[in-house]
Amino acid sequence: MGAILTLLINGLAQGALIFLMASGLSIILGMMGVINFAHGTLFLWGGYSYVWAYYVIWNRVAQARFPDAYAIGQWGGSVVRVDRIALPSGQALPFHLDLLIFLAALIIAVAIVFFIGMIFEKLFINKVYNNAPAQILVTLGLQVIFTDVARFFFGTEGIQIVPPNFLNGTTRLWGGTIVHYNIFVILVGLAVALIIHRIITKSRIGMVIRAGLQSPEHVKAIGINIRRYFTYIFAVGAGLAALGGALYMPFVGAVTSTAGMNNQILAFIVIVVGGLGSFLGSAFGSVFIGLMTVVISLFVPALSVVANVLVMALVLVFKPNGLFGMAVNN
Amino acid sequence: MGKAKVKVNAADMIGSKKMSPVQIGALLALIATFVALPFFIGNTTIVLVCRIFILGVYGMSYDILRGYTGIINLGQASFFGSGVYIGVLALRREADMLHFIVALLGATVFCLLVGFLYSKIVLLTGGVVPGAMITLALAEIVRNLAERWYTVTGGQDGLSLRASSLAINFTSASIRLGGRDKLIGLYLFTFVFLIVMTLVLRQFVMSPTGRVLMAIRENDQRAKFLGYNTDHYKTIAFLVSAVASGLAGVFFSIVVRFAGTDYLSIQTTLDALLMTLVGGTGTLYGAIIGSGLVTYLQNLLLNLAREYSDFRLLRFPMIFIGSIYVAIVMFMPSGIMGGVYKLQAMRKLKKSQANK
Repeated sequence: MGAILTLLINGLAQGALIFLMASGLSIILGMMGVINFAHGTLFLWGGYSYVWAYYVIWNRVAQARFPDAYAIGQWGGSVVRVDRIALPSGQALPFHLDLLIFLAALIIAVAIVFFIGMIFEKLFINKVYNNAPAQILVTLGLQVIFTDVARFFFGTEGIQIVPPNFLNGTTRLWGGTIVHYNIFVILVGLAVALIIHRIITKSRIGMVIRAGLQSPEHVKAIGINIRRYFTYIFAVGAGLAALGGALYMPFVGAVTSTAGMNNQILAFIVIVVGGLGSFLGSAFGSVFIGLMTVVISLFVPALSVVANVLVMALVLVFKPNGLFGMAVNN
Repeated sequence: MGKAKVKVNAADMIGSKKMSPVQIGALLALIATFVALPFFIGNTTIVLVCRIFILGVYGMSYDILRGYTGIINLGQASFFGSGVYIGVLALRREADMLHFIVALLGATVFCLLVGFLYSKIVLLTGGVVPGAMITLALAEIVRNLAERWYTVTGGQDGLSLRASSLAINFTSASIRLGGRDKLIGLYLFTFVFLIVMTLVLRQFVMSPTGRVLMAIRENDQRAKFLGYNTDHYKTIAFLVSAVASGLAGVFFSIVVRFAGTDYLSIQTTLDALLMTLVGGTGTLYGAIIGSGLVTYLQNLLLNLAREYSDFRLLRFPMIFIGSIYVAIVMFMPSGIMGGVYKLQAMRKLKKSQANK
């Protein structure tokens, strides 16, 4: 019972993280008809920005509050260097400061990547609408460039990061261990899913976007600048990837530059399984793949990567358009 | 008529006309130049040129899929990398011609199997976009497997051939010239490989099958309506491309004498993409030119990074190579050979208009 509970929570948390990544991809694909192979690097930038912002603010606050806090080292690359600071033993920041720092770092990370996303759209994606091969090639190029830029900025070694104090604990329940941070991640994933679903189906913005996908000419004719909407959709997708990245890094305990590509591939598998461009599909696909990953990596660790693809292949055999596919194949 | 808009199908230019004596002469001169070249350059450059030859084949194999069939395979590195691994594994036992041939056969069989699997999965979804996504995932899995299968692949450390293992009797035929041992055997061996593969792939592209592939690239639906089983042809293209990449990998193993998971990574696929893009997608020979430029550039960046080690940005060559790549996709999508063909077609058009 306990083991199953632990497994379930871990799997759902994993699924929620993949979902944050996959939902951005899925929205961009479904609404703009653009496939973004640079999503992994946006995810990575979200993670790095979060870690950077978190440590910078935390260091300031800690040093202001505890004058005898001292630096025990540094991390970073050629551009960004941040001290590691140790608090005097037995000391910790109070809850409200911890919470504020955590939220501020998340917001900064999402804002930075939102901005990067806008630039990507304005400079590159803009030029390759309705040209799927060019989209793939351009975004793939951006992926490798910005992954290496991140390594240049933040260094090639992994940076340790743990969840903030108030989320960094476990509870034992029916013999199972529940990591608080995982619960938090699940809640965030759920909230994001509900909000986005509501925006797409109920709001005016969602309506314009759906109409724009059907017939951009008509939308333009009634005086709506659909291109500007597209810029923001892409940026929101990027922001979601950043949120995923920021929450992912404390989940695994460290930032590494390979995390971007790995999660992008997971997200691809998810949206192929869920059905290309289907938001609901990507939500269910994420939970499905998240649970699968946890179960398989528990029983056959070596197979965890292969298993995802096997699942994908099986789904494709029986439902070539994915579980919830709308078939955006061009 | 005003400005005549020229739409050139670069691919159709290949073999579409008889060569004039001048062109044949130029081609012979070019080959003669390359045969004579190793006598005038140092060993480092010889190895570089060997790499260019082999990567040229790799680029052409990629062009079969990307340029002629219109499939974007982001898992091409799986075939090339496997070829490198198979080459090193075979030659580690005994570095002679027999083992080399065994490696070639092994790579062929392996790439046929894996390529078949890839093509089946890709064709299940049909589209270019899901195909690219899935092949990216598949390639990453192959790389992961290679990293974990330590006993055979050496994991992250990779496998290397000992220096003496270069002694495939034929390729190490070094000639003493100017007081130095030169790798002329290796050079000629890879050069012959390039020429043979160019002819084979050219023949394939010009064959009826190749023509059907181009039809599929231009309009999949229409090819289907004409009665062609497009999936069947796409599978053939996949297999030809996979095997050519695998063979290039085996040859690459004797030049670099090392197999690592890098050769299975997305970077290696990007190399192929970049080479075909620079040279011109769908022009076949373009890939050779692309290989020359890209490999030279990579080598240059590597040397610069070594020389100016304070300048840290140089340690991340993908920033530069990636930028060039994006710039080419956006501003020069038809590449060098594409541009040349366009010029030729434009001149022809002008001539025909003048004659009217």
